[in-house]
Amino acid sequence: MFDRQAFIDNILDHYENPRHRGHMDDATVTLKGGNPGCGDIITAYLKVSGAEDRIEDVSFEGEGCTISQAAASILSEQIIGKTLAEVNAMDHEAFIEDLGKEVVINRLRCATLALNTVKAAQRKLEAQRSEGDSKQPTDEVLTF
Amino acid sequence: MTAQPQIETRGYAHPDTLVATDWVAGHLRDPNVRLVESNEDILLYEQGHIPGAVQIDWVGDLNDKIRRDYLDRRSFSDLMAKYGIGNDTTVIFYGDKNNWWATYAFWVFQLFGHTNAKVMDGGRKKWIDEKRELTKEKATYARTESKAPERADYKIRAFRDQVMAHIGTEQPLVDVRSPKEFSGELLHMEAYPQEGALRGGHIPGAKNVPWAQAVNEDGTFKSANDLRAIYEGREGLNPDQNVITYCRIGERSSHTWFVLHYLLGYPNVRNYDGSWTEWGNLVGAPIEK
Repeated sequence: MFDRQAFIDNILDHYENPRHRGHMDDATVTLKGGNPGCGDIITAYLKVSGAEDRIEDVSFEGEGCTISQAAASILSEQIIGKTLAEVNAMDHEAFIEDLGKEVVINRLRCATLALNTVKAAQRKLEAQRSEGDSKQPTDEVLTF
Repeated sequence: MTAQPQIETRGYAHPDTLVATDWVAGHLRDPNVRLVESNEDILLYEQGHIPGAVQIDWVGDLNDKIRRDYLDRRSFSDLMAKYGIGNDTTVIFYGDKNNWWATYAFWVFQLFGHTNAKVMDGGRKKWIDEKRELTKEKATYARTESKAPERADYKIRAFRDQVMAHIGTEQPLVDVRSPKEFSGELLHMEAYPQEGALRGGHIPGAKNVPWAQAVNEDGTFKSANDLRAIYEGREGLNPDQNVITYCRIGERSSHTWFVLHYLLGYPNVRNYDGSWTEWGNLVGAPIEK
């Protein structure tokens, strides 16, 4: 298990070398989330396939504090291969432990912004399908 | 205090509440000086800070853990002791966002009467822009026996009932948020998620002077003449008035509080930290748009 410094090093590594960062033109579902306290903004792009809506690819864009942006990068590595239902069922506490609870305890909304944003994907995709448009982007910003 | 011409020539009422980066660089090993970094981004400190600096966080260190309030006397004394800050230690605050959070921490220290405190002009950005030394090594200090007095909220802090009574008097309120927040078009800064209050607008009679008008592009404070041109020439304030500043949660307005009180010498300035996240949610509170 990481000690405090190892958690910090891991967060800084993801902040400085973000994984799955960038825009995705052919995303199945696009979500925007924000944290008013810190001014963090995240846009998540998910490409899903199959009857189970399994995540084939993910990317994030955004601006904000170190924790919010690093958490998006860390999350991106965890959700590829998961179904949207599995993402929806992900546990906040477990993700916070993955980030390093001691490090992020005073910025929990920053730490969980990306997770909260992608958790809305299942509902969003269902809404898109019921509207008959599976690739409709949105400007709505979910606030957490 | 050694001479600091870059600050002393700007005509401030209390130039001794600011120190230049040069001054800080010359006092890195001064045992009577404690550098305190306060940031919005809590991990900036971990990415590099001024040697010897400790970090004080507004959420983790300055807020009460349960209520919406600041820490009490006992917790403040413990915070001081933990960082080796005695009652006579000169505390120098600096941070990100043009010293937003630094002036906020400074303001909380003033609630406890720690007047031996200053702000590093230009903040973290100026120090880095000047390519000065940074370290990732966390500073540790021997505990002190600090004894803080009870928090004196009545001097520099305003509460909602006082703000309510302030409306309609000839005394000014200064709303330091952006023009769109002031008008009610937005509930938060541009590009930030719009949340935190159920209603938009401003407290009736408030003047809108966005906080950042007080700083230059490099993050340093404008000269007293330039500040007077804004707050007095344009907005009609004067030092004899009883001024209340506010923003969304009281951090941006602590910056303007600092400017009016220390740089322009207004004796009666209070920061309403409840600010728009209280007023914009308050049932029945008057709002102007």
